Amino acid sequence: MSTPESMPRIDFEANARAALGDAFLQRALRSAMVRFRELQAGVIAEVPQWQAFRKQAHDVKLDTLAHLDRHLDELESRIRARGGHVHRAGDGAEAGRIIEGLARGRRVVKSKSMTSEEIGLNEILRRAGCEVTETDLGEYLLQLAGETPSHIIAPVVHRSKESIAELLSAATGRRLPPEAEALTAAARVLLRERFLRAEVGITGVNFAVAETGTIVLVENEGNIRLTTTIPRVHIALMGVEKVIPRLADLAVFLTLLPRAATGQRMSSYVSLLTGPRRLGEADGPEEFHLVILDNGRRAIQADPVMCEALACIRCGACLDVCPVFERTGGHAYGSVYSGPIGAVITPLFVGLERAGDLPFASSLCGACGEVCPVKIDLPRLLLELRARVVRARGAGRAERLFVAGWSRIMRDPAALRRAGGLVRFLQRLLGRRPRWVPYPLSRWVTSRDLPPPAHAAFRQGWKP
Amino acid sequence: MIASEALVDRFIERATAVGVEVVRVSTDASLAAQVLARVIATGIRSVIMWEDDLLRPIVDALRSAGVAITDDPASAGAGITTADFAISETGTLVLSAGPGRPRATSLLPPLHVAVLPEDRIVGTLSDLMPHLEALPSALAFVTGPSRTADIELTPVRGAHGPVNVAVYLLPDALGRAPA
Repeated sequence: MSTPESMPRIDFEANARAALGDAFLQRALRSAMVRFRELQAGVIAEVPQWQAFRKQAHDVKLDTLAHLDRHLDELESRIRARGGHVHRAGDGAEAGRIIEGLARGRRVVKSKSMTSEEIGLNEILRRAGCEVTETDLGEYLLQLAGETPSHIIAPVVHRSKESIAELLSAATGRRLPPEAEALTAAARVLLRERFLRAEVGITGVNFAVAETGTIVLVENEGNIRLTTTIPRVHIALMGVEKVIPRLADLAVFLTLLPRAATGQRMSSYVSLLTGPRRLGEADGPEEFHLVILDNGRRAIQADPVMCEALACIRCGACLDVCPVFERTGGHAYGSVYSGPIGAVITPLFVGLERAGDLPFASSLCGACGEVCPVKIDLPRLLLELRARVVRARGAGRAERLFVAGWSRIMRDPAALRRAGGLVRFLQRLLGRRPRWVPYPLSRWVTSRDLPPPAHAAFRQGWKP
Repeated sequence: MIASEALVDRFIERATAVGVEVVRVSTDASLAAQVLARVIATGIRSVIMWEDDLLRPIVDALRSAGVAITDDPASAGAGITTADFAISETGTLVLSAGPGRPRATSLLPPLHVAVLPEDRIVGTLSDLMPHLEALPSALAFVTGPSRTADIELTPVRGAHGPVNVAVYLLPDALGRAPA
């Protein structure tokens, strides 16, 4: 992975503590997540084959990953046959060089792409003298603010409409009211002008269909359609894992994605793009380039346990049910990918040394695994990464002490009885919600409640 | 392909649910009159249109009412297209790009008018897939107007594309095979 060497270790605990102090963020996140969950539940209940579709999507993805080269070769040859160009990039730097070569000095409009954020594409293009405009409304606002997304589907959920009014007033030179409709309209005018004079359009890819050489893009705003309609050159950037074999598979994925992401039956726009514009057509790009990025994905694919993380279709459903994400928001994860899936793939991309905190940013409640529309067993992957972290850096002193004591007590009924009595006595001494407890328990209670003890041990009332 | 009444009803229900205006017309003449009324009511002076036999009656009506037909999508007040297919389960229009069928027609103007023969409505995405044999350079699935909820989750129409989408449903007898 080509992350800059200077990237520091992700300190989730410190980041989370900062987020917990932000009352607006807490409120906004909660209402966003509750809203998404309600919408998702309604439209998912309409699909009787939902569970079968999840399984099917999971199987298609994993089966495709097992024969990745074959499918990528087919995709490439179909696109070439349609007059498109295909580039393979081993890492982010290489993808950056390819795109820079195509866009140097040009006016670029971009639609939201997590993969482009993963490789720091905007910075690469800015250095290459491009004027780069993010055109998804949320991403455009983040660009104005110099921030990163806090939620994959609602990237700017951490900002109030008042603060957005300030950003857009500065950009337009007009005083704008803090109203969503007026602000969206102002951004539309500003961005429309950028579209009409853009020379290069850069998008991500939701799915790439090998058998037809088609890339599929899903959105609500229409900025992706504009990005792939007006500029003379279209560059699409995809991770290797986006390929699916057949057009027929799309029916399943397009049923799952909008319902799991935004709770819509269908997103406003789905574009199936097959090569550049053809003879006699009045618009669409004259040049089409697909950049296929590895950046550590094949290494994940080769990992028999973690491989299924690559099945992710970036819907954000696991974020919406995660009690940890609900309180910290996306920024605490210190990476473009947040929430449960971020806690799994960020460590895989940047290494456990830097992101070893993330698999612990979970209560292991299992909700993420239950909602994932492609049935990724996220709790299992989180546990596996935790085991790897502990194997690599060893358990801390507090944890070792605790586990040694626990294992000693659990093996001896008399010791368990004595320990239970001692704990009840200590807790009575410390009060119902203790402000102080002795080390190593103090580590546990800094971010958790210590429930009051039962009056009597379960064993005292239990007759076998 | 004959559209069952259930498919048509479901399409109308689901498209309406995402903010599409759906109008059933019975003859070419009423199609032209209704579209003209919709365009004039909004004060639109110029429209961009796909080249399609189904739209011919509309062209004549617009011209005789003094509405200009332009080939500049950026200045047009409305874009008028046909739809190759529609999906009733999701209220989706399926539009293929091609010569005489620019992508921008259904995208840049604030109003998108689509003419849809009822017999082009299929049930689900899975039902649609077998019809997509030779893919065009761009196939757009359009489900309602352009929208965003990026600012404090408030739904707003017309983020980048059309603010309004109006579908005119033609009875089976008037529809011809998809282009």
